Amino acid sequence: MTTETTDRSDTPATLRDNAEVAAALGRRYEAGFVTDIETDYLPAGLSEDIVRQLSALKKEPEWMTEWRLKAYRHWLTMPMPDWAKLKLAPIDYQSISYYAAPKSAPKSLDEVDPKLLETYDKLGVPLHERAKLAGVAVDAVFDSVSVGTTFRKELAEAGVIFCSMSEAIREHPELVQKYLGSVVPTGDNFFAALNSAVFSDGSFVFVPKGVRCPMELSTYFRINAINTGQFERTLIVCEDDAYVSYLEGCTAPMRDENQLHAAVVELVALERAQIKYSTVQNWYPGDENGVGGIYNFVTKRGDCRGNDSKISWTQVETGSAITWKYPSCVLRGDRSVGEFYSVALTHHRQQADTGTKMIHIGKGTKSKIVSKGISAGRSNNSYRGLVKVEKGAEGARNYTQCDSLLIGKKCGAHTFPYMEVKNPTAIVEHEATTSKISDDQMFYCRSRGIGEEDAVSMIVDGFCKQVFRELPMEFAVEAKKLLEVSLEGAVG
Amino acid sequence: MSEAQRTPFVESLLEAAAQAQLPGSGIGWLDAARRENLEAFAAAGLPDTRMEAWKYTALRALGQRRFEPGDAQAATRAVDDATYALPGVDGPALVFVNGVFRADLSRIDSLPAGLSLLPLSHALNGDAEPLRFALSRHYREGGDAFARLNAALAGDGVVLRVAAGAKVAQAVHLVMIGAAAESDLAWHVRHIVELGEDAELSLVEHHVASGEQQHLGTQVADVVLRKGAQLRHVTLQNSSAGGTLVRHNSVQLDEDAQASLYVLELGGALVRHDLHATLAGDRARMETRGVFVLNGRQHVDTQMALRHQALNTASDSIWRGVADQRSRGVFRGAIVVAPGADGSDASLSSKNLLLSGQAEIDTKPELEIYADEVKAAHGATVGQLDERSLFYLRSRGIPLTEARAILTAAFCRAVFESLDNDALREHLDQQLMAHLPSA
Repeated sequence: MTTETTDRSDTPATLRDNAEVAAALGRRYEAGFVTDIETDYLPAGLSEDIVRQLSALKKEPEWMTEWRLKAYRHWLTMPMPDWAKLKLAPIDYQSISYYAAPKSAPKSLDEVDPKLLETYDKLGVPLHERAKLAGVAVDAVFDSVSVGTTFRKELAEAGVIFCSMSEAIREHPELVQKYLGSVVPTGDNFFAALNSAVFSDGSFVFVPKGVRCPMELSTYFRINAINTGQFERTLIVCEDDAYVSYLEGCTAPMRDENQLHAAVVELVALERAQIKYSTVQNWYPGDENGVGGIYNFVTKRGDCRGNDSKISWTQVETGSAITWKYPSCVLRGDRSVGEFYSVALTHHRQQADTGTKMIHIGKGTKSKIVSKGISAGRSNNSYRGLVKVEKGAEGARNYTQCDSLLIGKKCGAHTFPYMEVKNPTAIVEHEATTSKISDDQMFYCRSRGIGEEDAVSMIVDGFCKQVFRELPMEFAVEAKKLLEVSLEGAVG
Repeated sequence: MSEAQRTPFVESLLEAAAQAQLPGSGIGWLDAARRENLEAFAAAGLPDTRMEAWKYTALRALGQRRFEPGDAQAATRAVDDATYALPGVDGPALVFVNGVFRADLSRIDSLPAGLSLLPLSHALNGDAEPLRFALSRHYREGGDAFARLNAALAGDGVVLRVAAGAKVAQAVHLVMIGAAAESDLAWHVRHIVELGEDAELSLVEHHVASGEQQHLGTQVADVVLRKGAQLRHVTLQNSSAGGTLVRHNSVQLDEDAQASLYVLELGGALVRHDLHATLAGDRARMETRGVFVLNGRQHVDTQMALRHQALNTASDSIWRGVADQRSRGVFRGAIVVAPGADGSDASLSSKNLLLSGQAEIDTKPELEIYADEVKAAHGATVGQLDERSLFYLRSRGIPLTEARAILTAAFCRAVFESLDNDALREHLDQQLMAHLPSA
């Protein structure tokens, strides 16, 4: 892929822009605090020994260790992919510590280190009270281990299993063995292989036949320790006629180094099952000069295995120095449905190359893609999506809409949709537009006494509305706030 | 690539290069450019599908084939002039048979004022200096194997210049004929076209076959439009059903220049068309229109990139594709708006009909935008004929096959609507109709 600099000679107008942007303090990253607690590390570096040690630390059974080693050996043979439209410094995989856990291992939620709980409080995820009030069950992953899952009992009564991945490997090995790696195989891609070798924790959800999960499930990820990577693994299985809605949120402290986050999320929907997966990603994006921030290289894939199943991805991406992910749906079952709703915002020097893949295999499969990209500052924001219709996908239908909004003169907005169609009864449609906030819109708002920043955030909010209304309510509110904070200083 | 790994394709073309007696050899800069491009070709060979620009076009089979260097009998092969006669195109003509200029078939004796038109082989025998800029280019992109090959081996082509202010009324006809020969040949043509300030030209690029053959043809064309120049460029590609044709066309538009491009792709077994246009001057405007109609096992790949580099430039592209039987149509339409190219207005539509369960369409419209005062939109669809329209026609007593033919024709014909040469437009429509299935 070509990478081009977007530098231009400074005209007086852009000079003024710069001054005002600088004056507006750039962005405030509200989740950028470090929690000072004792942490257990594995030494930095990656080798078969480290993988074994990690597996032993987590008291994993033999088959799991072997599974990791297989993935690790495969990873060694793979080159790092370079096709994305991203400028990326080489990553030294030997300088990362692949495991960091709070030292005092909690036995139950009440024993969780109060400092940890404070951290989650600051993040707005109080494990106890608010979760109960909101009726949201939360599994919080702090650096590498899961620190507690709320609402365990209520969920158990419904028959839903919601626990950390480590626990699932111990308590439900038959389910894990059956489904882990069945959607994203260990050798699927470079980062998925790495994740398979060293994943430390994550969430596991199992919704048995006919059960509608009584509450929304949620995971909060946070990278706290320095020089660590976070490699969590999420697996959600919905049996026949089951339904679950799952929320994921992410934050990290401010640091000058880039930290790697390479997660894998696998969703399995059996006959008539429905999974709704929502993400609000707010990893530390680096400062306004592009120093520091998280590399967010995630493999997310849902497999609609059963007929009439449905998987829906909704994502709001405002954080990370570099976002590189394509939540995908494999529409295997007849009449299965895949959806992807995305808002990706980049500011300062952030880069995003994100989108989705919809693979139509079953008859009468449908997919819908709505992607909204917003670029500000000197950032680059790309939508890259694949819609593939295989030979047997009679009557497959796809609709893709992909809009970009540019704020400022030094950012870039790009669209790379791939359409591969092998069935003559399929209908695939793609539409894309690129625009900026028009002077007319601004003038209209300003003439009615609305401040500049408020006007921008109103217009952006309108631009994203189609996606926001797919989010569960609490998340929609958070997402809106996040965009406002992220766009601070974007206009001037 | 080490010597041992060289494919038969690369080997045969390197042998061809060793024997070639190219016009202009002895000119230092030209020899150097040919040598360096050949070395680059030898080193990299043909691109594979891991390369983004070749993702949908596999060249493995081509890599196993061998081609003879050139056609010794090209100058004497009998070619019926009916194979390339076009209604509405009766101006000056330059005809190449298997890459060799044929004075006996061409019409260049009484050229209109301001038009200079001669074969590259003649131009190189005179003062070659004006061609230096175009011909000393090095193709550095990994996927440019055929452009490198062409730069190393092309001995002929067209050098066409229109003087500033000249308005050439008659369309200029460039004919590339692939003629049946004793073996599979590789031929290469290199065109250089320049329109001076405010010049006007209508150009017809025409690829046809005379007899069945499976040649490889490569063409590289550089077209430059100076300030205020206007070009209408029609391409009719109707080459041999077994042939391989690779075209690499670049167009540059200076201030206020306007270009309209029409492309009709009908023939060939493996066809690749790279079209790179740069809107380099303020207010330059470009219009592209294209259709491919494929059947059998045809594979046609169009890669278009339009680069908006100046203020208030506009581009408008409409492409249609029809793929039947076991064919595969590939289209990439990239619009790039460079930093500072404010006021750019770009739109692109790629609509495709997939008529068979064995055919495939891969389309990829792209936007790469680095400026904010921009209007850019693209749309792409792959599907089949609208059921309601079919129903409408059938309810009026038109049989299904005929109704399909009418709708398919209507789907494609819109593309040539803005072409103002009536006779030529009608001819293109007829050709199109003849290629559409079950008409």
